[in-house]
Amino acid sequence: MTQTLIRPETPVVPPPSPPRRRRRKDPGRYLRLHLPLVLYLLFTLIPFYWMLVFALRPAGATSLVPWPITFEHFDTVWNGVGFGLFFQNSLIIGVGTLVVVTVFALMGGYALARFRFRGQRVFLLALLCTQFIPGAMMLIPLFVIFKSAGLLNSLTGLVIADTAFQLPLALILMSGFVRNVPVELEEAAMVDGCTRLRAFFAVTLPQLKPALVAVGSFAFIGAWNNFLFALMFASKQDKFTLPVGLSYALGEFNTDFGALAAGGVVAAVPVVLVFAVVQRFLVQGLSAGAVKG
Amino acid sequence: MMRRLLVALALVVSACSAGQDGPTTITFWDNNGGPGRTPIYTELIKRFEAANPDVKVEYVGIPSSSVQQKYDTAIAGGATPDVGGVTTSYLAHLVGQDALEPADERVENGALKGKLLPGLLETVRQTAPDGKLYAVPASGNMDVIWYRSDRFEEAKIAEPSTWDDLAKAATQLTKPAENQYGFTIRGGAGSIFQLLAEAYSYSGVEKFYEGGKSTVADPRNAELVRKVAELYKKATPEADVNNNYTQMVAQFTGGTVAMMHHNLGSTADVMKALGPERVSAMPLPKGPSGKRTVVPNPTDGFAVFKGSENREAAWKFVEFLTSAESNGYWNEKVGQIPANTDVRGAEWIQENPAVKMALGVLEDPATVLVPAPVYLPEYSSITKTDTEPLYQKVLLGQMPAQEFLDQLAAKLTTAQQDWEKRK
Repeated sequence: MTQTLIRPETPVVPPPSPPRRRRRKDPGRYLRLHLPLVLYLLFTLIPFYWMLVFALRPAGATSLVPWPITFEHFDTVWNGVGFGLFFQNSLIIGVGTLVVVTVFALMGGYALARFRFRGQRVFLLALLCTQFIPGAMMLIPLFVIFKSAGLLNSLTGLVIADTAFQLPLALILMSGFVRNVPVELEEAAMVDGCTRLRAFFAVTLPQLKPALVAVGSFAFIGAWNNFLFALMFASKQDKFTLPVGLSYALGEFNTDFGALAAGGVVAAVPVVLVFAVVQRFLVQGLSAGAVKG
Repeated sequence: MMRRLLVALALVVSACSAGQDGPTTITFWDNNGGPGRTPIYTELIKRFEAANPDVKVEYVGIPSSSVQQKYDTAIAGGATPDVGGVTTSYLAHLVGQDALEPADERVENGALKGKLLPGLLETVRQTAPDGKLYAVPASGNMDVIWYRSDRFEEAKIAEPSTWDDLAKAATQLTKPAENQYGFTIRGGAGSIFQLLAEAYSYSGVEKFYEGGKSTVADPRNAELVRKVAELYKKATPEADVNNNYTQMVAQFTGGTVAMMHHNLGSTADVMKALGPERVSAMPLPKGPSGKRTVVPNPTDGFAVFKGSENREAAWKFVEFLTSAESNGYWNEKVGQIPANTDVRGAEWIQENPAVKMALGVLEDPATVLVPAPVYLPEYSSITKTDTEPLYQKVLLGQMPAQEFLDQLAAKLTTAQQDWEKRK
């Protein structure tokens, strides 16, 4: 059985290198492949550039380059609007939701993938159906429940609300990932004397690393971006989050584009960093869950 | 033993009640929270707490785009604030949910008696089906034409006093090759409110409803709509057909257009970008009737919620915010019309020509206010979802102005009749 677990490594034979000289000399390849990609990249980056320009140039300036550079808008949002505190709240809610969603999705996803139980299909369908219900529809019922549970104006309440909305999709994703890890690996470990739990931790969990990253990232970003719950379930200034802070820049009669852009940069940086760090796992995880049979 | 127990119990009870003797905390929701207004409220709250050490105010800034939803959720969930900033554009909606305390008696019997601009009081009263005052007005706003005084001077054009003068000046100031246009039209979101303000200002029609029927389709109003549509592309950028207020303000402050119809709310943006030496404000020009008819903008004010457990403290705070000193301080900072009449002589008003002009128009006995029926539950959907696309058709020459106004008037008449029946 151990052979099932420790497979002799297949010697990696590097594929024959493509005829480089020919590729380099093929101008059509640049036109077909690189040019569209570069144009698409520019197209994608323009809004980000625009955001940086507005964030870094003085109010009222119309130049297309952020020069002279000013940090007045960052000062406005960080010190004037209170983005420091909003950032902290968003981080706590994002990380809290990430941890809770990932742990529950792992347990639930494993159960859905590995066990057969009565009502399983209905349960899965119900999970899927929850995705059709917009958050705004649940607002008042949830508000009433949270009020009676004393969860209004608390970050814990927001973690619970975000978790409730992130978990169904996370469970479905995670069950797909777990299903892709051959059950035989666990069985082999159990034959070797492991309990199911030990087999799970020793054999399955390491295989699920990309899945954890994918599910965790989605949960974090979902909670990080959630505006509606943060505004509705909190009625104290010190419990608001970044999306609420961002919408402050859009006033009834005027829009502070500089503050909006600077706030956008502050809100986008952690998400960009998260993606930069986890993108390797994320692509691996998503493709594993999506297309591998 | 029993006696000792009773004494201990009495001590615990007295300790508990002693704990409640601290300052009363009231919650205040700012309906347009943000970097522009929050610091002003922070200062006012500081002053209030210094003058009333027994009351503590907890400030919560709500983004203006979501404030109605926030109030609705809070009312449905029974967690309303003590005091809330409100505007007449959604006041009827809150009154309809029985969420607010009427303020009539408080104003009549308190320090604010006779101190509030009658026009603003009337606007607030007209919003409620029962004609009561559900919010104490704090700021008035008025539609104005912001114009580049420097360009007018350069081209030797006098400030227009009629719509025809305005159209002529707009055409003269248009230089498409230099990307300069004389006027900007709000053709996108929020277009109808501005258009109605322009139309009634031109037509001199004094009532929004006459004999239960909307006067919107009056031929004089249609004449104005035609005049505005004629300016499109001739003296305005082509993109104006999709303009909302942010784009208009950006065009004006960026120097592309010489005249913009907006309201005093854009004072801060306009002054910051162009400065008083390059920009001035004038009232919407009159039409051939020569009458000054004004469709008032939504009025800002403060309401006390019925769910408040500290109504006395809440009213004390509202009175403080609308007192001459606070009201003056507030409106000076935001550049709007103070509701408290004791403020009108303040130095800052003399130095702020736009507010001085607007206050003059509102206080002029010859001015006729023509309030739009913002109290109708369907008003927003009729004027936005149903009618904005039709106005775009008018601008693009795909629909006659009269037909457009006929459709709008029919809907407003039906909505008014339904509302009268429900009253």
